[in-house]
Amino acid sequence: MNVFDLEGVTKQYGRRAALRDFDLSLAAGESLGLLGPNGAGKTTAIRLLLGFSKPTRGSVRLRGLSPLDPASRVGLGYLPERVRLPDRMTIRALLFHHAALIGLTGAAADLEVNAALEQTGLGDRANERIGSLSKGLTQRAGFAQALLGSPDLLLFDEPTSGLDPIGVRDARDWISSARERGCTVMVSSHQLSEVERTCDRVAIVNEGQVIASGPIDSILSEGETLEDAFIRLVRQ
Amino acid sequence: MIDTRPSSQAIFFELASEALWDATRRRIVPMIAFVSLVSLLAVDSCTSCGTGQITANGEPVPLSEIAGWTGMLVIASLSMWMMVLAGILASDHLAEPLDDGSANLVLARPVPRSAFAGARLAGALAIAMATALVVLGCSAGLLHLRNELPLLPVVWAGLACAAGSIVVGSLAMTMSLKMSRVATALLVLVFVGSVTFINSFGLTGMQFGALGTVIQFVTPPLCSAVVLALAPWTDPVVPDLDPVVLTLKLIAWVFIGLAALWLTFDRFEISQ
Repeated sequence: MNVFDLEGVTKQYGRRAALRDFDLSLAAGESLGLLGPNGAGKTTAIRLLLGFSKPTRGSVRLRGLSPLDPASRVGLGYLPERVRLPDRMTIRALLFHHAALIGLTGAAADLEVNAALEQTGLGDRANERIGSLSKGLTQRAGFAQALLGSPDLLLFDEPTSGLDPIGVRDARDWISSARERGCTVMVSSHQLSEVERTCDRVAIVNEGQVIASGPIDSILSEGETLEDAFIRLVRQ
Repeated sequence: MIDTRPSSQAIFFELASEALWDATRRRIVPMIAFVSLVSLLAVDSCTSCGTGQITANGEPVPLSEIAGWTGMLVIASLSMWMMVLAGILASDHLAEPLDDGSANLVLARPVPRSAFAGARLAGALAIAMATALVVLGCSAGLLHLRNELPLLPVVWAGLACAAGSIVVGSLAMTMSLKMSRVATALLVLVFVGSVTFINSFGLTGMQFGALGTVIQFVTPPLCSAVVLALAPWTDPVVPDLDPVVLTLKLIAWVFIGLAALWLTFDRFEISQ
């Protein structure tokens, strides 16, 4: 069963179509890299999956449900492109807040919050206010909330923006370890090398349509890198 | 994977406590405290008049006979100000986290939109109602001590004020999804001012023709309900209003306000 399906989706903003007859699906346990130039429609697709907006035409299903149904978002971790967290909260308080929203309380919440802090290397800074953190640390805190409770579906929109090279490598490790425990992952990114290392499928999006999709090897021509293939397909 | 899902009540209380925390940190809160203090000083000044003479139709009127009217004017004015406050607080308490994108992470959780909007409204109203409790409570206490006005009518007026705050707050929050926060705050002032004006004419018992009657009927009884609650203070002069109809109308407006917020937010496109 697919974790999500977007079928024939068109999303209009006034006269501009952000997505046109957009088709994309992801099976459980797969990892998909969503690639495309700026304004291609990647973020719009993620917003539709989260129920933040509704398609003008077509069908969007998340776990077989409408994304407007809160039950479809159980076990989902999300990291937006621009992470905005409440400045006044400490990292620990933020994670406990999100733990409560996914039904974790008491010892179970303690366990999961500490695990997320440990995994993202924020254990020593857990009691610092988010407003005092650098952009990179805020991004790490965003990762910690997304990974909280070991979700079985992760949606990342430009997850490595704002991270230094060590942070980028750490993020890759977090995604890889999530995949190893069977988590389904979709990463929207400009970082082709990151996608190449963390995903087994890619979908290239341009002007609101999926112009190529499949296992990475299947879209590469002889001797091409993913970057070469991306530029060739987008310019076609 | 953690596949538990908290109950709707647990989600609501978690979000509401967060929204209340958020509301207490708003820059407007110290201003509210200051204006409330000024209001109480004004009430103290208004009710401290022990001597003096008022003449009506050439006859001197004892101050004790107008104490009820003064009290009604004070409590009704403060109640309307509290409703404005609820509207202004609500006018960006939902719009702000949507604008800056901080709502996205919460709404990506299994959180119903209605719970999120309801919690944000509850957070804003909690500040407004706590302020109303202090301001109306202190004012009622002064009126009771100095003019021996009974306290029970203020309890009913306070409930009417709370219901009116829900109406104004929920409508302001709804409008904040469609227009800028400054425009919404101005609209709150115009709305409460207009309603007070229309309600006041209704209290006089004057007739205004078919259109006037329709306007009177559809206008929420925000001011009328408070005045009616305080009618024992001006007995035997009481407004010609049916308490049952007025209460039902106020309850209907509470539902209209909440329904407008939930339906509008349910269809709202989160764009950040």
